[in-house]
Amino acid sequence: MKRYLRLYLHFLRFSFSRAMEFRVDFFFRIVMDCAFYVTNLAFFHILFQHIGGLGGFGIDEVYVFVAGYLFADAVHMTLFSNNTWWLPFLINKGDLDYYLIRPVSTLFFVSLRDFAANSFLNLIIAAGILFWAMLRHPADLAASSIAVHIALLLVGVFITWNLHMWFILPVFWLHTSTGLRQLFFALEVFSERPHKIYRGVVGKLLLSILPLACVISVPTYILFEGASWELVVPLAVATPMVFLVTLVIWNRGLKAYASASS
Amino acid sequence: MRAKLFADVFIIEAKRTMSYRADFWINVIGGLLSGIAIPYFMWSWIFQAEGGGDDTLLIGGRTFGQMIAYYIACALISKVVRGSDLPLSISSDIYEGGLNRYLLYPTRYLPFKYAQQLGAMVPNLVQMVGFGVIFFFALGLPAGVEITATTVAMTAASLLVANLLYFLLTYPLQLISFWADNVWSLIILLRFVTSLLGGAMLPLEMFPAVWRDVLPYTPFPTLFYLPVQTLLGEVSIVAWGQGLLIGLAWCVGIGLCGALVWRRGELRYTGVGI
Repeated sequence: MKRYLRLYLHFLRFSFSRAMEFRVDFFFRIVMDCAFYVTNLAFFHILFQHIGGLGGFGIDEVYVFVAGYLFADAVHMTLFSNNTWWLPFLINKGDLDYYLIRPVSTLFFVSLRDFAANSFLNLIIAAGILFWAMLRHPADLAASSIAVHIALLLVGVFITWNLHMWFILPVFWLHTSTGLRQLFFALEVFSERPHKIYRGVVGKLLLSILPLACVISVPTYILFEGASWELVVPLAVATPMVFLVTLVIWNRGLKAYASASS
Repeated sequence: MRAKLFADVFIIEAKRTMSYRADFWINVIGGLLSGIAIPYFMWSWIFQAEGGGDDTLLIGGRTFGQMIAYYIACALISKVVRGSDLPLSISSDIYEGGLNRYLLYPTRYLPFKYAQQLGAMVPNLVQMVGFGVIFFFALGLPAGVEITATTVAMTAASLLVANLLYFLLTYPLQLISFWADNVWSLIILLRFVTSLLGGAMLPLEMFPAVWRDVLPYTPFPTLFYLPVQTLLGEVSIVAWGQGLLIGLAWCVGIGLCGALVWRRGELRYTGVGI
């Protein structure tokens, strides 16, 4: 464990020094993410000029919800997005070889080696928006509830990473992941609305097979409505299950991996 | 650029993009899921909560049926306006040195790239027509929405202007590759801003009055709101003409800006990739 921690600190050092070499890109990324934050907040702000609630949330809860997904997105962008972007190229070009021979978990290495330093600054901004949304909420949110909420959002990021991997790892067999990656990005948008608006089969799917509702929506309902069985059970089941499925696909993929000819 | 060459580039690019059939269908499914299913669930929840099933309830001046028609039209039209992922090919040409060959071709770079952009748009055009017919004619039009031969013809003209405008908006941003190593973030930034201010996220009537006063003079409504409203028969010919003129004026302004950036950037270009 200590070895992995030390290794991760090296990843951080390399990532920051690399980010400093591309300063314009560093700046552009910050501006892009700020635009993402503003458009999302503006969307709900304008929408709530015409409606009274969405999925049982009022405007104050919706701001916390939106801020939650901005925060989760920033964490995902910082920790995983660069790595998930490059993974198909590593597999197709046979560059995965260099990681397979290292004396650490290959999945750990290829999933976390590139820490997006430019997104890290955005993470600070997103965290600021989350705290602003919580502070402006009329109910006094207890510090413990806020801590649990943030912890659950981090669990949500872990679920997102797993689901993202489900759509990338077929590259071991298909040799392209462009279409599936686009499909994931399209599906991911489902997590950007409170899950109670989804009725019927879609609502059930989002809490079970494709647990996108557990990423932000379920943690936000737990924050405001308390931990009921129908919220906690899907989250508690989905978290280990998605990781297990990722491990199965990854291990099967490695067996199918044929280096540069993949 | 000669019309024959423009047409040839268009056809080659259209054939190339249509050959990726798996991507085509995944793109269809993904686009429909996020562009139509999510607004459908969201607005059906809202209309149910606000009106308890009252069919005459208006939100932002639209009934539930009209609202869904707006989002379906918008999901299909926005793909045509944005084209494919091709816009980034300009920055790749500059960054990787591929611009060299275009500089040697006996034609101008910008029209050549625009012909490619139009060709790459063909799969989206096929989707728009195919699914537009299914959604609007097979499933039926909601009350208050009229799609006629005239509105379709007017929409086609709006789409041409919108597609050109979107291409010209991305052009100077991509030319920044002459100075910067990665402009992908700027293209995504443009996508966020145009989605909100162009009416792809919410119909523009829902915006506060101050925004509604200013937005018609910006390039954004020309991109999505004007073609969608035109298709749904909610724009008078005069308003449509005014919208197109404003869009064309922006095309000229942004085109000039792009030409200026090109001239400055070309001086810095080394032809070996950065």
